[in-house]
Amino acid sequence: MATDPLERIERMASENAVVIFSKSSCCMCHAVKRLFCGMGVNPMVYELDEDPRGKELEKALTRLLCGGSAVPIVFIGGKLVGAMDRVLASHINGSLVPLLKEAGALWL
Amino acid sequence: MASTRRVLGEPAALSGISHHLPYSNPHMLHNHPPDTSFGRNQEESSFDFGELEEPIVLGGVKINKNKTKETLYSSVKASAILEMLPSWPIPRQRESSKSGEESTDSGSALIKPDSESPISTKAPSDHHKTARAAAEDDSDREHDDLQPPQPPLQSPDIQMESARTGVSQSKSAAKQTTEKTLRRLAQNREAARKSRLRKKAYVQQLESSRMRLSQLEQDIQSARSQGLFIGGRATTGNISSAGAVFDMEYSRWLDEDIGHMSELRAAVQSHLSDGDLRAIVDGYVSHYDEIFRLKGVAAKSDVFHLITGTWVTPVERCYLWMGGFRPSELIKMLIPQLDPLTEQQLLGICGLQQSSQQAEDALAQGLDQLHQSLLQTIANSSLNDSMHHMVIALGKLANLEGFVRQADNLRQQTLHQLRRILTVRQAARCFLVMGEYYGRLRALSSLWASRPRE
Repeated sequence: MATDPLERIERMASENAVVIFSKSSCCMCHAVKRLFCGMGVNPMVYELDEDPRGKELEKALTRLLCGGSAVPIVFIGGKLVGAMDRVLASHINGSLVPLLKEAGALWL
Repeated sequence: MASTRRVLGEPAALSGISHHLPYSNPHMLHNHPPDTSFGRNQEESSFDFGELEEPIVLGGVKINKNKTKETLYSSVKASAILEMLPSWPIPRQRESSKSGEESTDSGSALIKPDSESPISTKAPSDHHKTARAAAEDDSDREHDDLQPPQPPLQSPDIQMESARTGVSQSKSAAKQTTEKTLRRLAQNREAARKSRLRKKAYVQQLESSRMRLSQLEQDIQSARSQGLFIGGRATTGNISSAGAVFDMEYSRWLDEDIGHMSELRAAVQSHLSDGDLRAIVDGYVSHYDEIFRLKGVAAKSDVFHLITGTWVTPVERCYLWMGGFRPSELIKMLIPQLDPLTEQQLLGICGLQQSSQQAEDALAQGLDQLHQSLLQTIANSSLNDSMHHMVIALGKLANLEGFVRQADNLRQQTLHQLRRILTVRQAARCFLVMGEYYGRLRALSSLWASRPRE
Protein backbone atom coordinates (compact mmCIF):
# COMPACT_ATOMS: atom_id res chain seq x y z
CA MET A 1 0.00 0.00 0.00
CA ALA A 2 1.62 3.22 -1.15
CA THR A 3 1.96 5.70 1.69
CA ASP A 4 2.74 8.84 -0.25
CA PRO A 5 -0.58 10.42 -1.33
CA LEU A 6 0.81 11.53 -4.67
CA GLU A 7 1.98 8.00 -5.42
CA ARG A 8 -1.39 6.71 -4.44
CA ILE A 9 -3.08 9.15 -6.76
CA GLU A 10 -0.82 8.13 -9.63
CA ARG A 11 -1.54 4.51 -8.98
CA MET A 12 -5.28 5.05 -8.80
CA ALA A 13 -5.16 7.18 -11.92
CA SER A 14 -3.43 4.54 -13.97
CA GLU A 15 -5.70 1.71 -12.99
CA ASN A 16 -8.60 2.84 -15.17
CA ALA A 17 -9.05 4.56 -18.50
CA VAL A 18 -10.98 7.46 -16.98
CA VAL A 19 -10.52 8.35 -13.33
CA ILE A 20 -12.41 11.13 -11.56
CA PHE A 21 -11.50 12.34 -8.10
CA SER A 22 -14.70 13.68 -6.63
CA LYS A 23 -16.71 14.40 -3.52
CA SER A 24 -20.22 13.12 -3.09
CA SER A 25 -21.45 16.55 -2.02
CA CYS A 26 -19.79 18.47 -4.85
CA CYS A 27 -22.16 19.60 -7.59
CA MET A 28 -19.46 20.37 -10.15
CA CYS A 29 -18.28 16.80 -9.66
CA HIS A 30 -21.78 15.69 -10.44
CA ALA A 31 -21.65 17.77 -13.61
CA VAL A 32 -18.40 16.20 -14.80
CA LYS A 33 -19.69 12.72 -14.06
CA ARG A 34 -22.82 13.48 -16.10
CA LEU A 35 -20.65 14.75 -18.94
CA PHE A 36 -18.74 11.50 -19.27
CA CYS A 37 -21.80 9.32 -18.78
CA GLY A 38 -23.58 11.34 -21.42
CA MET A 39 -20.76 10.53 -23.84
CA GLY A 40 -21.06 6.83 -23.08
CA VAL A 41 -17.93 6.71 -20.96
CA ASN A 42 -17.85 4.78 -17.71
CA PRO A 43 -15.42 6.59 -15.41
CA MET A 44 -13.90 5.27 -12.21
CA VAL A 45 -14.96 7.68 -9.49
CA TYR A 46 -13.16 8.09 -6.17
CA GLU A 47 -15.21 10.01 -3.61
CA LEU A 48 -12.63 11.61 -1.38
CA ASP A 49 -15.12 12.32 1.37
CA GLU A 50 -15.73 8.61 1.62
CA ASP A 51 -12.07 7.65 1.70
CA PRO A 52 -10.45 7.37 5.15
CA ARG A 53 -7.35 9.11 3.82
CA GLY A 54 -9.29 11.45 1.62
CA LYS A 55 -7.99 14.59 3.27
CA GLU A 56 -4.38 13.99 2.33
CA LEU A 57 -5.37 12.96 -1.19
CA GLU A 58 -7.29 16.21 -1.43
CA LYS A 59 -4.26 18.19 -0.33
CA ALA A 60 -2.02 16.43 -2.82
CA LEU A 61 -4.50 17.06 -5.63
CA THR A 62 -4.70 20.76 -4.77
CA ARG A 63 -0.92 20.95 -4.97
CA LEU A 64 -0.99 19.13 -8.29
CA LEU A 65 -3.21 21.81 -9.75
CA CYS A 66 -1.34 24.64 -8.06
CA GLY A 67 -4.28 25.70 -5.98
CA GLY A 68 -7.93 25.92 -6.82
CA SER A 69 -10.35 23.26 -5.78
CA ALA A 70 -9.16 19.68 -5.54
CA VAL A 71 -12.32 18.25 -7.03
CA PRO A 72 -13.34 17.37 -9.60
CA ILE A 73 -10.06 16.31 -11.16
CA VAL A 74 -9.95 14.06 -14.19
CA PHE A 75 -7.27 11.64 -15.36
CA ILE A 76 -7.50 9.93 -18.74
CA GLY A 77 -5.18 7.10 -19.66
CA GLY A 78 -3.23 7.75 -16.48
CA LYS A 79 -2.46 11.33 -17.50
CA LEU A 80 -3.79 14.41 -15.78
CA VAL A 81 -6.39 16.31 -17.81
CA GLY A 82 -7.35 18.77 -15.12
CA ALA A 83 -10.34 20.36 -13.45
CA MET A 84 -13.69 21.18 -15.00
CA ASP A 85 -12.50 24.12 -17.05
CA ARG A 86 -9.79 22.06 -18.79
CA VAL A 87 -12.17 19.17 -19.35
CA LEU A 88 -14.74 21.46 -20.97
CA ALA A 89 -12.10 23.26 -23.02
CA SER A 90 -10.71 19.99 -24.36
CA HIS A 91 -14.18 18.75 -25.18
CA ILE A 92 -15.01 21.91 -27.12
CA ASN A 93 -11.72 22.00 -29.00
CA GLY A 94 -12.18 18.39 -29.98
CA SER A 95 -9.25 16.87 -28.13
CA LEU A 96 -11.23 15.02 -25.47
CA VAL A 97 -12.79 12.34 -27.66
CA PRO A 98 -9.52 11.22 -29.28
CA LEU A 99 -7.98 11.08 -25.81
CA LEU A 100 -10.81 8.86 -24.62
CA LYS A 101 -10.54 6.62 -27.63
CA GLU A 102 -6.82 6.31 -27.18
CA ALA A 103 -7.33 5.29 -23.55
CA GLY A 104 -9.87 2.73 -24.62
CA ALA A 105 -12.74 4.45 -22.85
CA LEU A 106 -14.68 5.08 -26.04
CA TRP A 107 -15.26 3.03 -29.12
CA LEU A 108 -16.46 4.01 -32.60
CA MET B 1 17.52 46.63 -15.54
CA ALA B 2 18.19 48.76 -12.57
CA SER B 3 21.81 47.88 -12.21
CA THR B 4 22.99 49.98 -15.09
CA ARG B 5 21.29 52.98 -13.70
CA ARG B 6 22.31 52.83 -10.14
CA VAL B 7 23.61 55.89 -8.48
CA LEU B 8 27.33 55.50 -8.49
CA GLY B 9 28.86 55.50 -5.10
CA GLU B 10 25.54 55.32 -3.38
CA PRO B 11 26.33 55.13 0.24
CA ALA B 12 24.42 52.46 2.02
CA ALA B 13 24.01 54.70 5.01
CA LEU B 14 21.90 57.17 3.15
CA SER B 15 19.53 54.68 1.69
CA GLY B 16 17.65 54.94 4.89
CA ILE B 17 16.77 58.56 4.42
CA SER B 18 13.93 58.22 2.03
CA HIS B 19 13.07 54.66 2.54
CA HIS B 20 9.41 55.39 2.45
CA LEU B 21 9.46 55.07 -1.28
CA PRO B 22 8.08 51.76 -2.38
CA TYR B 23 10.99 50.65 -4.48
CA SER B 24 9.57 47.37 -5.44
CA ASN B 25 6.49 48.69 -7.10
CA PRO B 26 7.29 48.78 -10.78
CA HIS B 27 3.70 49.35 -11.73
CA MET B 28 3.56 52.63 -9.93
CA LEU B 29 6.86 53.76 -11.26
CA HIS B 30 5.89 53.37 -14.85
CA ASN B 31 2.87 55.50 -14.37
CA HIS B 32 4.33 58.51 -12.73
CA PRO B 33 6.00 61.37 -14.42
CA PRO B 34 9.32 62.51 -13.17
CA ASP B 35 8.86 65.40 -10.90
CA THR B 36 11.32 67.83 -12.28
CA SER B 37 9.86 70.63 -10.32
CA PHE B 38 11.43 69.07 -7.36
CA GLY B 39 14.35 71.22 -6.59
CA ARG B 40 13.08 74.26 -8.39
CA ASN B 41 10.86 75.60 -5.72
CA GLN B 42 12.00 74.77 -2.35
CA GLU B 43 8.46 75.06 -1.04
CA GLU B 44 7.42 72.22 -3.22
CA SER B 45 9.21 69.86 -1.06
CA SER B 46 7.74 66.69 -2.33
CA PHE B 47 6.04 64.97 -5.14
CA ASP B 48 2.38 64.71 -4.42
CA PHE B 49 0.92 61.37 -5.19
CA GLY B 50 -2.27 62.17 -3.41
CA GLU B 51 -3.92 63.33 -6.54
CA LEU B 52 -2.89 60.28 -8.42
CA GLU B 53 -5.31 57.59 -7.55
CA GLU B 54 -2.81 54.88 -6.98
CA PRO B 55 -2.60 53.24 -3.61
CA ILE B 56 0.65 54.81 -2.68
CA VAL B 57 1.97 54.87 0.78
CA LEU B 58 4.61 57.45 1.25
CA GLY B 59 5.53 58.59 4.64
CA GLY B 60 5.93 62.26 5.21
CA VAL B 61 4.84 63.44 1.79
CA LYS B 62 3.79 67.03 1.78
CA ILE B 63 0.87 68.16 -0.34
CA ASN B 64 1.96 70.34 -3.18
CA LYS B 65 -0.19 73.41 -2.82
CA ASN B 66 0.51 74.61 -6.32
CA LYS B 67 -1.45 71.69 -7.69
CA THR B 68 -4.81 73.07 -6.62
CA LYS B 69 -4.98 75.61 -9.37
CA GLU B 70 -4.17 72.98 -11.93
CA THR B 71 -7.49 71.28 -11.29
CA LEU B 72 -9.06 74.07 -13.24
CA TYR B 73 -7.70 72.66 -16.46
CA SER B 74 -10.39 71.11 -18.52
CA SER B 75 -10.09 67.48 -19.34
CA VAL B 76 -10.03 68.37 -23.01
CA LYS B 77 -6.99 70.44 -22.49
CA ALA B 78 -5.46 67.66 -20.49
CA SER B 79 -5.99 65.16 -23.27
CA ALA B 80 -4.58 67.63 -25.74
CA ILE B 81 -1.50 68.09 -23.68
CA LEU B 82 -1.06 64.38 -23.28
CA GLU B 83 -1.37 63.95 -27.01
CA MET B 84 1.27 66.58 -27.57
CA LEU B 85 3.58 64.97 -25.14
CA PRO B 86 2.86 61.35 -25.76
CA SER B 87 6.03 60.16 -24.23
CA TRP B 88 4.46 60.34 -20.81
CA PRO B 89 4.10 58.20 -18.83
CA ILE B 90 7.13 56.17 -19.64
CA PRO B 91 10.03 55.42 -17.43
CA ARG B 92 12.76 57.83 -18.22
CA GLN B 93 16.20 56.44 -18.68
CA ARG B 94 18.35 57.70 -15.98
CA GLU B 95 22.02 57.72 -15.50
CA SER B 96 22.92 58.35 -12.03
CA SER B 97 26.53 59.15 -11.89
CA LYS B 98 25.84 62.34 -10.07
CA SER B 99 23.05 63.70 -8.08
CA GLY B 100 21.79 67.00 -9.28
CA GLU B 101 23.87 68.95 -6.93
CA GLU B 102 24.67 71.76 -9.28
CA SER B 103 21.26 72.32 -10.67
CA THR B 104 19.17 73.95 -8.08
CA ASP B 105 17.43 76.07 -10.60
CA SER B 106 17.00 73.41 -13.17
CA GLY B 107 14.69 71.70 -10.83
CA SER B 108 16.40 68.40 -10.74
CA ALA B 109 16.98 66.88 -7.44
CA LEU B 110 18.12 63.51 -8.40
CA ILE B 111 18.75 61.00 -10.98
CA LYS B 112 17.32 57.76 -9.96
CA PRO B 113 16.77 54.40 -11.53
CA ASP B 114 13.13 53.98 -12.28
CA SER B 115 12.88 50.85 -10.35
CA GLU B 116 13.92 52.58 -7.23
CA SER B 117 12.11 55.81 -7.18
CA PRO B 118 8.98 57.26 -8.60
CA ILE B 119 10.56 60.62 -8.52
CA SER B 120 13.21 60.71 -11.16
CA THR B 121 14.40 64.02 -12.32
CA LYS B 122 16.71 65.58 -14.78
CA ALA B 123 15.19 64.35 -17.97
CA PRO B 124 17.90 64.34 -20.58
CA SER B 125 20.54 63.59 -18.13
CA ASP B 126 21.90 60.60 -19.98
CA HIS B 127 23.20 62.42 -22.97
CA HIS B 128 25.09 64.92 -21.03
CA LYS B 129 26.13 62.61 -18.32
CA THR B 130 29.42 62.03 -20.03
CA ALA B 131 29.91 65.72 -20.49
CA ARG B 132 29.15 66.19 -16.90
CA ALA B 133 31.44 63.43 -15.82
CA ALA B 134 34.20 65.08 -17.79
CA ALA B 135 33.28 68.57 -16.76
CA GLU B 136 32.89 67.96 -13.14
CA ASP B 137 35.42 68.50 -10.57
CA ASP B 138 36.65 65.94 -8.21
CA SER B 139 35.81 68.44 -5.59
CA ASP B 140 32.21 67.72 -6.27
CA ARG B 141 32.60 64.09 -5.53
CA GLU B 142 32.91 64.66 -1.87
CA HIS B 143 29.45 66.09 -1.96
CA ASP B 144 28.28 63.16 -3.98
CA ASP B 145 28.78 60.79 -1.17
CA LEU B 146 26.75 62.95 1.10
CA GLN B 147 23.86 63.26 -1.30
CA PRO B 148 20.83 61.17 -0.55
CA PRO B 149 20.45 58.75 -3.40
CA GLN B 150 16.71 59.20 -3.52
CA PRO B 151 14.88 62.45 -3.88
CA PRO B 152 14.54 63.66 -0.36
CA LEU B 153 10.95 63.91 0.57
CA GLN B 154 11.39 65.73 3.78
CA SER B 155 12.38 69.37 3.62
CA PRO B 156 15.45 69.09 5.85
CA ASP B 157 17.05 66.99 3.21
CA ILE B 158 16.29 69.58 0.63
CA GLN B 159 17.80 72.31 2.72
CA MET B 160 20.87 70.14 3.08
CA GLU B 161 20.98 69.54 -0.59
CA SER B 162 20.50 73.12 -1.66
CA ALA B 163 23.14 74.25 0.73
CA ARG B 164 25.51 71.72 -0.67
CA THR B 165 24.61 72.50 -4.21
CA GLY B 166 25.22 76.17 -3.55
CA VAL B 167 28.71 75.39 -2.38
CA SER B 168 29.57 73.09 -5.22
CA GLN B 169 27.88 75.39 -7.68
CA SER B 170 30.21 78.26 -7.05
CA LYS B 171 33.19 75.95 -7.21
CA SER B 172 32.31 74.22 -10.45
CA ALA B 173 30.84 77.22 -12.21
CA ALA B 174 34.01 79.14 -11.68
CA LYS B 175 36.26 76.46 -13.05
CA GLN B 176 34.26 74.55 -15.68
CA THR B 177 32.96 75.52 -19.02
CA THR B 178 30.08 77.78 -18.03
CA GLU B 179 28.61 77.43 -21.47
CA LYS B 180 28.19 73.73 -21.21
CA THR B 181 26.71 74.08 -17.79
CA LEU B 182 24.27 76.73 -18.88
CA ARG B 183 23.17 74.69 -21.83
CA ARG B 184 22.69 71.72 -19.65
CA LEU B 185 20.73 73.74 -17.19
CA ALA B 186 18.52 75.06 -19.93
CA GLN B 187 17.86 71.55 -21.18
CA ASN B 188 17.05 70.47 -17.70
CA ARG B 189 14.64 73.31 -17.30
CA GLU B 190 12.96 72.46 -20.53
CA ALA B 191 12.64 68.83 -19.66
CA ALA B 192 11.40 69.72 -16.23
CA ARG B 193 8.83 72.03 -17.70
CA LYS B 194 7.57 69.41 -20.11
CA SER B 195 7.44 66.90 -17.37
CA ARG B 196 5.42 69.18 -15.20
CA LEU B 197 3.00 69.80 -18.02
CA ARG B 198 2.56 66.13 -18.61
CA LYS B 199 2.00 65.50 -14.99
CA LYS B 200 -0.60 68.25 -14.79
CA ALA B 201 -2.38 66.90 -17.80
CA TYR B 202 -2.44 63.40 -16.43
CA VAL B 203 -3.68 64.47 -13.06
CA GLN B 204 -6.33 66.57 -14.68
CA GLN B 205 -7.49 63.69 -16.78
CA LEU B 206 -7.73 61.53 -13.71
CA GLU B 207 -9.68 64.14 -11.84
CA SER B 208 -12.14 64.70 -14.61
CA SER B 209 -12.59 60.97 -15.00
CA ARG B 210 -13.31 60.76 -11.34
CA MET B 211 -15.87 63.51 -11.59
CA ARG B 212 -17.44 61.82 -14.59
CA LEU B 213 -17.62 58.59 -12.68
CA SER B 214 -19.36 60.12 -9.69
CA GLN B 215 -21.70 61.95 -12.04
CA LEU B 216 -22.57 58.69 -13.76
CA GLU B 217 -23.20 57.03 -10.45
CA GLN B 218 -25.50 59.85 -9.44
CA ASP B 219 -27.35 59.52 -12.71
CA ILE B 220 -27.83 55.85 -12.17
CA GLN B 221 -29.10 56.49 -8.67
CA SER B 222 -31.65 59.01 -9.76
CA ALA B 223 -32.70 56.98 -12.76
CA ARG B 224 -33.09 53.93 -10.63
CA SER B 225 -35.30 55.76 -8.20
CA GLN B 226 -37.50 56.75 -11.09
CA GLY B 227 -37.53 53.29 -12.52
CA LEU B 228 -36.14 54.45 -15.83
CA PHE B 229 -34.56 52.48 -18.57
CA ILE B 230 -30.94 53.34 -19.16
CA GLY B 231 -29.69 52.07 -22.48
CA GLY B 232 -32.65 49.77 -22.71
CA ARG B 233 -31.93 48.14 -19.41
CA ALA B 234 -34.12 48.66 -16.35
CA THR B 235 -32.38 50.15 -13.40
CA THR B 236 -35.00 49.38 -10.84
CA GLY B 237 -34.18 47.50 -7.72
CA ASN B 238 -30.99 47.43 -5.80
CA ILE B 239 -27.77 47.17 -7.69
CA SER B 240 -24.72 46.28 -5.72
CA SER B 241 -21.68 48.39 -6.37
CA ALA B 242 -20.02 45.48 -8.14
CA GLY B 243 -23.16 45.10 -10.22
CA ALA B 244 -23.24 48.82 -11.00
CA VAL B 245 -19.60 48.78 -11.98
CA PHE B 246 -20.18 45.79 -14.22
CA ASP B 247 -23.20 47.45 -15.82
CA MET B 248 -21.07 50.43 -16.73
CA GLU B 249 -18.31 48.24 -18.08
CA TYR B 250 -20.81 46.26 -20.08
CA SER B 251 -22.29 49.47 -21.44
CA ARG B 252 -18.86 50.53 -22.60
CA TRP B 253 -18.31 47.07 -24.08
CA LEU B 254 -21.53 47.45 -26.08
CA ASP B 255 -20.32 50.77 -27.44
CA GLU B 256 -17.08 49.12 -28.48
CA ASP B 257 -19.09 46.31 -30.04
CA ILE B 258 -20.76 48.80 -32.33
CA GLY B 259 -17.34 49.96 -33.42
CA HIS B 260 -16.19 46.41 -34.07
CA MET B 261 -19.35 45.72 -36.02
CA SER B 262 -18.80 48.68 -38.35
CA GLU B 263 -15.23 47.60 -38.83
CA LEU B 264 -16.29 44.05 -39.66
CA ARG B 265 -19.00 45.23 -41.98
CA ALA B 266 -16.66 47.50 -43.88
CA ALA B 267 -13.99 44.80 -44.00
CA VAL B 268 -16.36 42.18 -45.38
CA GLN B 269 -17.73 44.51 -48.03
CA SER B 270 -14.41 45.84 -49.18
CA HIS B 271 -11.81 43.33 -50.21
CA LEU B 272 -9.18 43.52 -47.56
CA SER B 273 -6.21 41.24 -47.56
CA ASP B 274 -6.43 38.20 -45.37
CA GLY B 275 -3.82 39.65 -43.07
CA ASP B 276 -5.81 42.82 -42.40
CA LEU B 277 -9.00 40.86 -42.06
CA ARG B 278 -7.36 38.51 -39.60
CA ALA B 279 -6.41 41.40 -37.36
CA ILE B 280 -10.00 42.62 -37.29
CA VAL B 281 -11.41 39.16 -36.70
CA ASP B 282 -8.96 38.34 -33.94
CA GLY B 283 -9.71 41.73 -32.47
CA TYR B 284 -13.33 40.72 -32.22
CA VAL B 285 -12.44 37.50 -30.44
CA SER B 286 -10.37 39.51 -27.97
CA HIS B 287 -13.33 41.83 -27.53
CA TYR B 288 -15.37 38.85 -26.34
CA ASP B 289 -12.49 37.58 -24.22
CA GLU B 290 -12.65 40.94 -22.48
CA ILE B 291 -16.32 40.68 -21.53
CA PHE B 292 -15.78 37.17 -20.22
CA ARG B 293 -12.95 38.47 -18.12
CA LEU B 294 -15.13 41.29 -16.77
CA LYS B 295 -17.91 38.83 -16.02
CA GLY B 296 -15.46 36.67 -14.13
CA VAL B 297 -14.54 39.60 -11.95
CA ALA B 298 -18.17 40.53 -11.40
CA ALA B 299 -19.12 36.93 -10.59
CA LYS B 300 -16.74 36.95 -7.66
CA SER B 301 -18.60 39.81 -6.00
CA ASP B 302 -22.13 39.42 -7.22
CA VAL B 303 -22.96 36.29 -9.12
CA PHE B 304 -26.68 36.90 -8.70
CA HIS B 305 -26.42 40.10 -10.66
CA LEU B 306 -25.14 38.11 -13.62
CA ILE B 307 -27.72 35.36 -13.21
CA THR B 308 -30.69 37.67 -12.70
CA GLY B 309 -29.70 39.39 -15.90
CA THR B 310 -30.70 43.00 -15.29
CA TRP B 311 -27.59 43.89 -17.25
CA VAL B 312 -29.13 42.60 -20.46
CA THR B 313 -32.27 43.79 -22.19
CA PRO B 314 -35.60 42.07 -21.41
CA VAL B 315 -35.72 40.06 -24.61
CA GLU B 316 -32.16 38.85 -24.10
CA ARG B 317 -33.10 38.01 -20.54
CA CYS B 318 -35.69 35.52 -21.76
CA TYR B 319 -32.94 33.55 -23.41
CA LEU B 320 -30.36 33.96 -20.69
CA TRP B 321 -28.69 30.72 -19.77
CA MET B 322 -26.40 30.63 -16.72
CA GLY B 323 -25.68 34.30 -17.03
CA GLY B 324 -25.18 34.50 -20.78
CA PHE B 325 -25.95 33.12 -24.18
CA ARG B 326 -26.36 29.40 -24.80
CA PRO B 327 -23.53 28.28 -27.10
CA SER B 328 -25.39 25.44 -28.83
CA GLU B 329 -28.22 27.86 -29.62
CA LEU B 330 -25.76 30.27 -31.19
CA ILE B 331 -24.19 27.54 -33.32
CA LYS B 332 -27.59 26.34 -34.45
CA MET B 333 -28.45 29.87 -35.56
CA LEU B 334 -25.12 30.29 -37.34
CA ILE B 335 -24.90 27.05 -39.33
CA PRO B 336 -27.29 27.97 -42.16
CA GLN B 337 -25.68 31.40 -42.45
CA LEU B 338 -22.15 30.15 -42.80
CA ASP B 339 -22.52 28.65 -46.27
CA PRO B 340 -20.47 27.71 -48.13
CA LEU B 341 -18.62 25.34 -45.81
CA THR B 342 -16.36 22.49 -46.72
CA GLU B 343 -17.37 19.01 -45.65
CA GLN B 344 -14.73 19.01 -42.96
CA GLN B 345 -15.84 22.39 -41.68
CA LEU B 346 -19.45 21.29 -41.55
CA LEU B 347 -18.42 18.21 -39.57
CA GLY B 348 -16.40 20.39 -37.25
CA ILE B 349 -19.23 22.83 -36.64
CA CYS B 350 -21.78 20.09 -36.06
CA GLY B 351 -19.34 18.43 -33.70
CA LEU B 352 -18.97 21.76 -31.93
CA GLN B 353 -22.71 22.04 -31.58
CA GLN B 354 -22.93 18.54 -30.18
CA SER B 355 -20.10 18.92 -27.68
CA SER B 356 -21.37 22.26 -26.45
CA GLN B 357 -24.82 20.70 -26.05
CA GLN B 358 -23.33 17.90 -23.99
CA ALA B 359 -21.36 20.33 -21.86
CA GLU B 360 -24.43 22.49 -21.33
CA ASP B 361 -26.45 19.49 -20.24
CA ALA B 362 -23.77 18.42 -17.80
CA LEU B 363 -23.53 21.89 -16.28
CA ALA B 364 -27.30 22.17 -16.09
CA GLN B 365 -27.52 18.87 -14.22
CA GLY B 366 -24.81 19.95 -11.83
CA LEU B 367 -26.59 23.23 -11.21
CA ASP B 368 -29.84 21.39 -10.69
CA GLN B 369 -28.24 19.25 -8.06
CA LEU B 370 -26.99 22.40 -6.39
CA HIS B 371 -30.51 23.83 -6.32
CA GLN B 372 -31.95 20.63 -4.84
CA SER B 373 -29.24 20.37 -2.23
CA LEU B 374 -29.68 24.00 -1.23
CA LEU B 375 -33.43 23.66 -0.88
CA GLN B 376 -32.94 20.59 1.27
CA THR B 377 -30.60 22.44 3.57
CA ILE B 378 -33.04 25.31 3.99
CA ALA B 379 -35.97 22.99 4.46
CA ASN B 380 -34.16 20.87 7.01
CA SER B 381 -33.16 23.75 9.17
CA SER B 382 -35.01 23.60 12.43
CA LEU B 383 -35.53 26.33 14.96
CA ASN B 384 -32.68 25.10 17.09
CA ASP B 385 -29.82 24.98 14.68
CA SER B 386 -31.06 27.22 11.86
CA MET B 387 -27.85 29.24 11.99
CA HIS B 388 -25.83 26.12 11.37
CA HIS B 389 -27.93 25.24 8.35
CA MET B 390 -27.73 28.79 7.05
CA VAL B 391 -23.98 28.55 7.17
CA ILE B 392 -24.09 25.31 5.22
CA ALA B 393 -26.49 26.89 2.75
CA LEU B 394 -24.13 29.83 2.29
CA GLY B 395 -21.35 27.41 1.50
CA LYS B 396 -23.46 25.72 -1.13
CA LEU B 397 -24.52 29.04 -2.60
CA ALA B 398 -20.88 29.91 -3.12
CA ASN B 399 -20.71 27.17 -5.74
CA LEU B 400 -22.97 29.21 -7.96
CA GLU B 401 -20.04 31.33 -9.04
CA GLY B 402 -18.28 28.22 -10.32
CA PHE B 403 -21.16 27.32 -12.58
CA VAL B 404 -21.45 30.77 -14.10
CA ARG B 405 -17.70 30.72 -14.64
CA GLN B 406 -17.83 27.35 -16.37
CA ALA B 407 -20.70 28.57 -18.51
CA ASP B 408 -18.64 31.59 -19.57
CA ASN B 409 -15.70 29.26 -20.13
CA LEU B 410 -17.90 27.21 -22.42
CA ARG B 411 -19.01 30.31 -24.32
CA GLN B 412 -15.45 31.51 -24.71
CA GLN B 413 -14.15 28.12 -25.87
CA THR B 414 -16.98 27.86 -28.37
CA LEU B 415 -16.10 31.19 -29.96
CA HIS B 416 -12.43 30.25 -30.12
CA GLN B 417 -13.21 26.91 -31.72
CA LEU B 418 -15.47 28.62 -34.23
CA ARG B 419 -12.58 30.88 -35.12
CA ARG B 420 -10.31 27.86 -35.56
CA ILE B 421 -12.66 25.95 -37.83
CA LEU B 422 -13.49 28.85 -40.13
CA THR B 423 -11.28 30.68 -42.58
CA VAL B 424 -10.58 34.32 -41.88
CA ARG B 425 -13.17 35.48 -44.34
CA GLN B 426 -15.79 33.05 -43.07
CA ALA B 427 -15.06 34.05 -39.50
CA ALA B 428 -15.52 37.72 -40.37
CA ARG B 429 -18.93 37.02 -41.86
CA CYS B 430 -19.77 34.71 -38.97
CA PHE B 431 -19.02 37.30 -36.31
CA LEU B 432 -20.88 39.92 -38.30
CA VAL B 433 -23.94 37.70 -38.34
CA MET B 434 -23.57 36.98 -34.64
CA GLY B 435 -23.16 40.62 -33.67
CA GLU B 436 -26.12 41.70 -35.74
CA TYR B 437 -28.23 38.91 -34.30
CA TYR B 438 -27.68 40.01 -30.72
CA GLY B 439 -28.07 43.60 -31.82
CA ARG B 440 -31.51 42.81 -33.17
CA LEU B 441 -32.49 41.17 -29.89
CA ARG B 442 -31.52 44.34 -28.08
CA ALA B 443 -33.33 46.51 -30.61
CA LEU B 444 -36.42 44.39 -30.12
CA SER B 445 -36.32 45.17 -26.42
CA SER B 446 -36.15 48.88 -27.11
CA LEU B 447 -39.01 48.72 -29.60
CA TRP B 448 -41.06 46.73 -27.15
CA ALA B 449 -40.42 49.22 -24.39
CA SER B 450 -41.44 52.14 -26.56
CA ARG B 451 -44.47 50.53 -28.21
CA PRO B 452 -47.71 52.57 -28.00
CA ARG B 453 -49.95 51.42 -25.19
CA GLU B 454 -53.57 52.26 -24.34
